[in-house]
Amino acid sequence: MRNVFQGIIRASSFFRKEIFEILRQPRLIATLVAGPFLILLIFGIGYRGQGRTLRTLIVAQADSPVPAQDIQEYGKSMAAQFTYAGVTGNQAEALDQLKRGQVDLVIVEPRDITSTLRNNQRAVFSLYHNEIDPVQVSYITYLGWVFAGEINQQVLRSFVEQGQADTGDLRANLQQAHQNVSAMRLAVQSGDEALARQKQQALSSNVNAVSTAAGVSLGLLDNLLESQSANKNNAAPVRSTLNDLRQNTSLLSDSPGSSNERLARLDKIDKNVTDLDGKLTEFQSIDASIIVSPFRSETKSVANVQPSISDFYAPAVLALLLQHLAVTFAALSIVRERNVGTMELFRVSPLSAAEALFGKYISYMLFGGVIAAILSALLVFALRMPMQGNWWSFTLVIAAVLFTSLGIGFAISIISQTDSQAVQYSMIILLASVFFSGFIMSLDMLWEPVRVISWMLPTTYGTLLLRDIALRGAAPNWALLGGLVAIGLVLMLLSWRLMRRLISSSQ
Amino acid sequence: MAVVSPSQPRQLQPVEANRPVISVQHLTKKFGDEIAVQDVSFDVPRASIFGFIGPSGSGKTTTVRLLTGVYAPTQGAVTVLDRSPAQFSQADRARLGYMPQLFVLYPNLTVWENLNFAASLYGMSLFRGKRLKEALAFVELEEHRSKLARNISGGMLRRLSLAATLVHDPELLFLDEPTAGIDPVLRHKFWEHFRELKSQGRTIFITTQYVSEAENCDLVGVQNNGKLLLVDTPQGIRHHAYGGEMVDFRTTQPFDFQAEARLRALPFVRAKTVRTDANGMRIIVDQASTATPALMDWAQQQNIQVQSVEEYVPSFDDVFVELVRPEASHA
Repeated sequence: MRNVFQGIIRASSFFRKEIFEILRQPRLIATLVAGPFLILLIFGIGYRGQGRTLRTLIVAQADSPVPAQDIQEYGKSMAAQFTYAGVTGNQAEALDQLKRGQVDLVIVEPRDITSTLRNNQRAVFSLYHNEIDPVQVSYITYLGWVFAGEINQQVLRSFVEQGQADTGDLRANLQQAHQNVSAMRLAVQSGDEALARQKQQALSSNVNAVSTAAGVSLGLLDNLLESQSANKNNAAPVRSTLNDLRQNTSLLSDSPGSSNERLARLDKIDKNVTDLDGKLTEFQSIDASIIVSPFRSETKSVANVQPSISDFYAPAVLALLLQHLAVTFAALSIVRERNVGTMELFRVSPLSAAEALFGKYISYMLFGGVIAAILSALLVFALRMPMQGNWWSFTLVIAAVLFTSLGIGFAISIISQTDSQAVQYSMIILLASVFFSGFIMSLDMLWEPVRVISWMLPTTYGTLLLRDIALRGAAPNWALLGGLVAIGLVLMLLSWRLMRRLISSSQ
Repeated sequence: MAVVSPSQPRQLQPVEANRPVISVQHLTKKFGDEIAVQDVSFDVPRASIFGFIGPSGSGKTTTVRLLTGVYAPTQGAVTVLDRSPAQFSQADRARLGYMPQLFVLYPNLTVWENLNFAASLYGMSLFRGKRLKEALAFVELEEHRSKLARNISGGMLRRLSLAATLVHDPELLFLDEPTAGIDPVLRHKFWEHFRELKSQGRTIFITTQYVSEAENCDLVGVQNNGKLLLVDTPQGIRHHAYGGEMVDFRTTQPFDFQAEARLRALPFVRAKTVRTDANGMRIIVDQASTATPALMDWAQQQNIQVQSVEEYVPSFDDVFVELVRPEASHA
């Protein structure tokens, strides 16, 4: 019992010592708290969530089928990511401007578009840039894809608009057909066969004109009207209606029948004409851009909250900072004692490796915990980071992150020969965490074998767990938490064995 | 653990009085091909002050580290408190006090906090304030207790280290150059306290570069180039260095060569006798107390007018130079 009590006293010596040493550095504490808070605050204020706009110069070909004025109009109405910088016919000069940084993007119109299309090939717009950043290159590649899509849509839209204009002629024929049906009906009813025959011929002429003008576009029109129709049951296909009209008109001339039969036939023809006119009117009223791009998407989340970008990064920053703090403090702790000779004093004293390590763990856990508490409070109450989950779960995860990070730090400290070596190792851990922990990109973007590194870093676990708890309001993922603690225990055991070698055995 | 003051020494664990507290047999330590300590043997009796003297790089600190278990011997055997240092238990280590050569505590802690830390390392009771104050008073640092260690002088740091070594009232002290950088007055006080600790039955193994401090030791080991040249009492060391005691013999008239030859031929005069000037000789004898009247009688018989005959006690600096000279010339 006495030995246990003395062991606690020996461990407590480190607890007090480490805390006092840290408290003697108020600037360090202020930096640890204020630094991440300010970074997140400024990031939240400064982040706009918009891609970069590119000053874009268009190179038009001399043989371009598109008038220069149209190109200018198009340039001014391009997607928000492009800022129109002008149009030129000189590609070399345009590329020179690009190299000098006067523009960010040069779009070169394809040569001889008509021949290319006739050869059953796609015409290629070339997008030139002067970027070396792979992310920017990807962004411009994506914008190229957007640009091609826009051009294709524009071409389609012009076709549709032409089709809508043509529909006006069709409707004029249908109007005449309607008038001829009415006149023929009156002629049949009055027994004026000559007039009836005359109107029948005029009607046939109208129907033939409609059939010819509509042509193959009726299929497209049919599908569009069918897809646009609110009431599918009343929606007779356009092609079928036109066929009916033609058939009824032919029957009227080929086998006229009795007066009543002719009048009944005329009613059917009139209905066909009215149907077609109604559908063409509907077709004309639809915006060409909707016909070209009839669909759009809307994303909706079933998550409890939609955090802002700074809210989303806040748990990751907290996890990363706590890991770095714990790793660095622990890494410097033992290596300094070894370098200045304090370790020699420990070796002669009754201090055991477990007591020294226990004291250091407790002190840094407490210190890290206080920093985490202040930072979390600032994030939630000052930066308004959502806190959907349970504070106890949040605290548990932070404790686990600190515990495992300290294990890394102590292991570094024991294997390092100098302060600078320990700092270097700590920086490597930090760098690895930035790239592999999912801090800046999702883990899914990493090749699976490389993710082994990710799963060795406390920040990876901390980020996932803290985000789930704070932003989703979920209970901790016990498998993740268990994995994190298991790594911490292994590291603690390793540190203890290494520390024993330092303290307990002779050299 | 009970609070212990110097006036109330704690009960020491029973050890056979005649068994040495430290016993070293043919101790050798090599670092690669370099020999730091070579075939060193000595015993340190209980309740004594053992001074380990030697120039910088002679292997003193390595020896201390071997005795405290920081280093393992390459060859030879070490027994401290009846146990090999490699086998020390926590209880054994609690009986030791170790003051390293350099300040190894924490610059960002105050004097008091550093001392408190050292006390905690030895598991001292939480009610140890009185003992800490006594230790600070002993090294005269009470007024500086609230100062950060980084803000006090080098001498104060040595005093703080010593207080940290003594605070848990150890039975066996290893002090590696404790008086380095300490002013003479405080150094004298340190030695007074060491003697007091010895009188309480404690054993002190102390290294120093101040050769004159050997005078304060019960036994002195002289170390050079990793080898222990000899171990003896301070008087014995002097005797060994010159082959006997020294007497300064001065006459009123210049001393001729025949007279010198007759003096050198006397049976109690040793070969290392030297002429100091025309009228004087420094004569090495077995014992100064018996040689002085014998010299007076001889001068009377020779009709030599004697100005003075008195024992000369060389400084330990001179003794040390005399001892290491053969080593240096051999090297």
